[in-house]
Parts: sequence; structure tokens; C-alpha cells
Amino acid sequence: MGAVETIVDAGVHKPPHQPQIALLGNPNCGKTALFNRLTGARQKVANYAGVTIERKEGHFTSPAGTPVRLLDLPGAYSLSATTPDEAITRDVVGGLRRGDPRPDAIICVVDATNLRLNLRLVLEVKRLGLPMLLALNMTDVARKRGMLIDTARLSQELGMPVVETVAVQHDGEKALLNAIDAMLPLPVVEAKPLAAIDAVSVEETQREVRRILAAVSNDSSDTGNLTEKIDDVVLHPVFGPLILAVLMFLIFQAVFAWAATPMEMITDGVGHLGALLTANMPDGHLKSLLVEGIIGGVGSVLVFLPQILILFFFILSLEDCGYLPRAAFLLDRLMGGVGLSGRAFIPLLSSFACAIPGVMAARTIQNPRDRLVTIMIAPLMTCSARLPVYALIIAAFIPQRQVWGYLSLQGLVLFVLYFAGIISAMAVAWVMKRGMGVRGNQPLMLELPAYHWPHLRNLAVSLWERAKIFLTRVGTIILSLMIILWFLSTFPGAPDNAIHPPIYYSLAGILGRGLEVIFAPIGFNWQICIALVPGMAAREVAVGALGTVYALSQTGDALATTLEPLIAHSWSMATALSLLAWYVFAPQCLSTLSVVKRETGGWRYPLLMAGYMFALAYAASFITYRVALMLGA
Amino acid sequence: MTLVPPLMTLDALAVGQSGTVLHITPHTAGQTEDGVDLARRLMELGFVPGERIRMLKRGIPGGDPLAIKVGNATFALRRFEAALITIQPLLQPE
Repeated sequence: MGAVETIVDAGVHKPPHQPQIALLGNPNCGKTALFNRLTGARQKVANYAGVTIERKEGHFTSPAGTPVRLLDLPGAYSLSATTPDEAITRDVVGGLRRGDPRPDAIICVVDATNLRLNLRLVLEVKRLGLPMLLALNMTDVARKRGMLIDTARLSQELGMPVVETVAVQHDGEKALLNAIDAMLPLPVVEAKPLAAIDAVSVEETQREVRRILAAVSNDSSDTGNLTEKIDDVVLHPVFGPLILAVLMFLIFQAVFAWAATPMEMITDGVGHLGALLTANMPDGHLKSLLVEGIIGGVGSVLVFLPQILILFFFILSLEDCGYLPRAAFLLDRLMGGVGLSGRAFIPLLSSFACAIPGVMAARTIQNPRDRLVTIMIAPLMTCSARLPVYALIIAAFIPQRQVWGYLSLQGLVLFVLYFAGIISAMAVAWVMKRGMGVRGNQPLMLELPAYHWPHLRNLAVSLWERAKIFLTRVGTIILSLMIILWFLSTFPGAPDNAIHPPIYYSLAGILGRGLEVIFAPIGFNWQICIALVPGMAAREVAVGALGTVYALSQTGDALATTLEPLIAHSWSMATALSLLAWYVFAPQCLSTLSVVKRETGGWRYPLLMAGYMFALAYAASFITYRVALMLGA
Repeated sequence: MTLVPPLMTLDALAVGQSGTVLHITPHTAGQTEDGVDLARRLMELGFVPGERIRMLKRGIPGGDPLAIKVGNATFALRRFEAALITIQPLLQPE
């Protein structure tokens, strides 16, 4: 390691300054829940400089009144760093990251039910000589399972304060806060370089863990607990995949059914606001910009917030309760068939919400080829930004009726669209792996953590984050695009002897009619072509754009009606199906492409991605349109 | 009469059976293309000589991947990873 000098340098601190404490622990030890409990909403989620691993920092004030900065480090099994996540943790703890000062103290969070695994990391970190505190988390679960831990003895053996915490319980962090106060003011230490960790072998460290465990706990052999009983069913060769399929299906049904009422409320609210302005403003460009451009455009995107939140609610709950790694286990063989590991499942599932966190989550995949392929297929997973488009077209063209008694036909079509994305992603992965020349076996090494109830507070914090991201997007990118689109659609105005709606003569109309030459073979009219242009920036913008295009091309009364019956009236079924097929594949999201560029370090892969996705989209739409026409749609 | 069962690799252990980790093979096949030292990683996850392990589940189809309990943690491994771990099986699961 050539950075030993920097380490020594960063190890010396100059008090007084606000103490910076880092939370460190194995994955699945409840570290993030503890972080949320300590900092509440006073946290800042960003990325580590230069990489796309989430960096969570927060503040809290200790009971004695000292403000403390708290950093939540990515989970790690060891500081020898196999994954990019672990490398971040190692570098921050070692003081090797520019912009992230070496922490003044470390709170090691361990899962009390699994000290055998968790304590080794504690012993490793201890070799660095930083002030440390051990948070014995999930002690409630341990007690329930009859595990007794002598914390006083553990503290003595480890040579650091040990406190019990229950991160998921109100006041579960009290003891920890008091212990932090007892540590303050933090001593100035000269921390040792990272190399100190490797001075002792893993086997030697584990022997020490066993010795400590024998001294401090009854270490009851933990067989036949509830998690194993649940896994008997959830990982069952027949029931397991069945449960997974039913669960996925129910989620998509719920996205439609539960969101209906709040969506109506938003639509009504937007409608009232528009009507209010229409009644009280003088006619003119400003009124048109406000009512049609801004309220109409932004409102038609905003309406999908409930669906996005419901989808995230399910993904976050499944993640929180421990089901996601089980799903990865069940799907490992399937993914292995196309050359991916079950690990790729989690980034891909995140991509159902949004490809951007999905592409970022691919960093947890150790193999660079697996990671690259996962990134390349992530945008084929149906992200929540496609939902507005799907929802609009499905609602307009697919009759609202039940099939086989109880399934909604609309939900079924949505399911098919999701499925088409998955199947094509698998096909692309297979082709890419072939092209790269697959070599050797890829490791899986995935932890299946104990189940627990999803924690509502954590869920609420995460959902709020998602809502904020979506609303920020609506307020910034989408709003500005709506305004630009309104200008493009309004100027220049129609000639006096116009036979078409004014937008036909505008800049957008000219552009759309130009694109129509390319898109006519797949059934897109010029209105759709116009909407596709701003839709490049973000998929859901296409809906708002359609709203603007149609609102502007209709006269008075039609403005009040919603977009849905409008397109149902003016598009053929073949065109609608073709547009759905287009949206399964088209790479209409500049932010995804820019994240891919950052993650892969160049233009090669984002360009390749845009190229293959446009080609697939055009081919799929062409086939869909032609087949639908033949069938008489 | 005490029958000591022959040594085997973890991938051959039947569902529900237990054993003790004896040795992790650090041979070259364990070095993946991206340079991850599989043997070391397995040890970091807790597959350290002397630890008790139990086969919980086998995936479908083809018995891959495997869900293995080590200590109080459960890890999913693919068969070739488990084959690096030599174990002493226990005749009687407790």
C-alpha cells in the first residue's frame, strides 16, 4: 500500500472540532435502522465523491449537548474489501478518501444473534487503534431466542464499551447515546495504517472470536428457529417459486387498484386549479402557458406519484423483511442460465422502480463482466417512469373487465408488459455474455439474513426520500421541459387560413411531422412523434407532452376532458399496442444514460445501450403494429 | 463402535446434515477472473476451519445454489464454491 504517509497524516486530529463518528458493521446488522433512529430526518443522502455508492451522513446532539456528525458506512464483512462497497468502508476508516476525513471514533454495530460472524470485523477494526464503541444490536431477538450475552465481560474482553441497542424500538438507542457522551471528548489518537489489520490471519482472528464467545455467551445452537421454518416454505422447490410469482403479480395488481382513489383526487385537484385560472384570467399566451403548459403538463405526471410510492412500498418492505435475497436464491439458476448470478436480481428489481438506483446497485456485483451486463439490461426492467405511459394507454384501450372471474384484464396486460421487459433482458444478457466469451464460474456468496417485520419508521423515511426525488424531478426537469414544449408548440402561430389545429404549424409540429416519416411504419401519428421528443429526457414527460399536444390541438370544450378518452378516440388499437411495445424497449431517459456513462467510465456503453435499445424498440413496435393490423385491430 | 465418516466437500452434503469445516482449498480454480480470492472470501463469511455448518436447502433445478448455515448466519453458495470447502460430516444430525 503506497498511501501509508497519508494515513499517518489523517490520523492526527486537531481538536476542538465537531466529533465525527462512523457507523460500521456487517451487512444486515441493523446499522441503517440505528442510523435512522439516531439522526431521524436530519440526514443527507448523497454519493461518495467519484463513485455512485450512497453516502449517508447525519447529525444528532448527544444528551449532554454535544453536536455529533454521524456517517453511515456501507456494510462490510471484512476490511480486506472484495466489493466496491467494502473498499469505500475500508478507505474511509483508513483515512484514504479525499473529502472524507478519518472518523474520530467508530461505533461498531453487531447483530447480537450472530456474534460469531460479526465480532471478527470488530476485532479487525480494533487493530487500527481508533476510539471504539460496540453497539450490540437486536438484543431483543437474541433474548427471545434464549441467547444470553454477558455484556460486561464482552466489554472487558474487547477493551471497549459495549451497549445493548434495539434499533427498531422507540428509545432503543438511549444506552448508546449515553455511552457516546461517556466517550466525549474524544482522545486524540494516532491511528495505525490499514496494514495492521492483515497482521493477523482470518483463522487466527476467528479463534479469538470463538474464545471470546465461549467466555461471554451460552451460544445456544440455533437450530429450527422461525427463520428456518419460514425458509422451509419460501425456499421450497415447488412453493418457493410459486410464492415469488404470486407476490410479484399481487404487487402489480395493487399498483393499479390501490392507487385509483388518490390518483382521482390529484386529477380532480389539478382540474379545479385549471378551471379556476381559466375562469379568472384574461385570454392570452400567459393563460395558455399556465393552464395548458404548466398545470396540464405537470399535473398529468404528478398523478402517478401514488403508483410510484406503492411500488416502492413493496420493494422496500420486501428488502427490509429479508425476502429479496431469498428471491435471488430462487432465481439464481435461472439467472445462471443467461450467465448472471442471483445477485443481479437485486439491482434488476430496483430497476423496476428506477434504472438509476438499479445501475448503482450493480456495484455490489463483484465480477466486472456480470456487473456490466447487469447495467446494460437494467433499463429493460419496467421502471416506474414507464408506468404513466402504460397506465394511460391501458386505461384508454384495454376494456376494464374481469377475466377468469377475478383478474383485471388491465392488470394482466401490465403484467405482460413487465414480463416482456424481463424476457428481453434475459435474451440480451445471454447474447452479451456470449459476445464477451464467458469464462469460468461466478461466485454467489449471498447472505440470507433472518426475517423480521419491516420497520415502519424506516419505510416511511425511505418512501419520503423517493417522493422527494420524484417531486424534485417534476418541479425541475419536467417543469422546464413542459415550458419549452409549450413554446415549441405555440410558436409560430397558425396562418389565418389554417385548416389544422395551431400546433400543426408550430415548431413542434414541424419536428413531429418530420419524425413521422420515420415512425409512420410503426403506426405513430405526428402527435405521438412530438411527445417522443421531450420524452427523451424522461419517459413520463411523454404523457405530459401528449396532454399539451392534445390540449392545444383541440378546441374549448375538449380541454376540460381528460387525455384518456381523447387518445382512445383518435388512435387505433394497433397504434396503442405499438406505442406500448416501443416503451418496453426505448432508451428514453437521459439520466439513465448519464449514470451508465459515469459507472462504466466512458461513452462506449451508454452509446451501445442507446443503440441496441432503439433498434429493439423499433423492431418490436414494427412487428406489433403489423401483426395487430393483420388481426384487424 | 465409533464410525468416523470419510471426509467430503460441502457440496456433497445432504439437506439437513451437519459437519465441521476442516479446510478451504486455495487452489487456482478458486481464483476468479477478477482476482477475488474465493478461499479468503469464504473465510471472511465465516467458513473458517473448526466452524459447524449445516445444509439447509438446495436450489432448483439441479441442487444449485445451496443454502448453508454457518454459525448463526445463512449463506447461499453455488456448488463450485461449496466444493472448495472440505468438511468432516457428522453421522447424527443433532
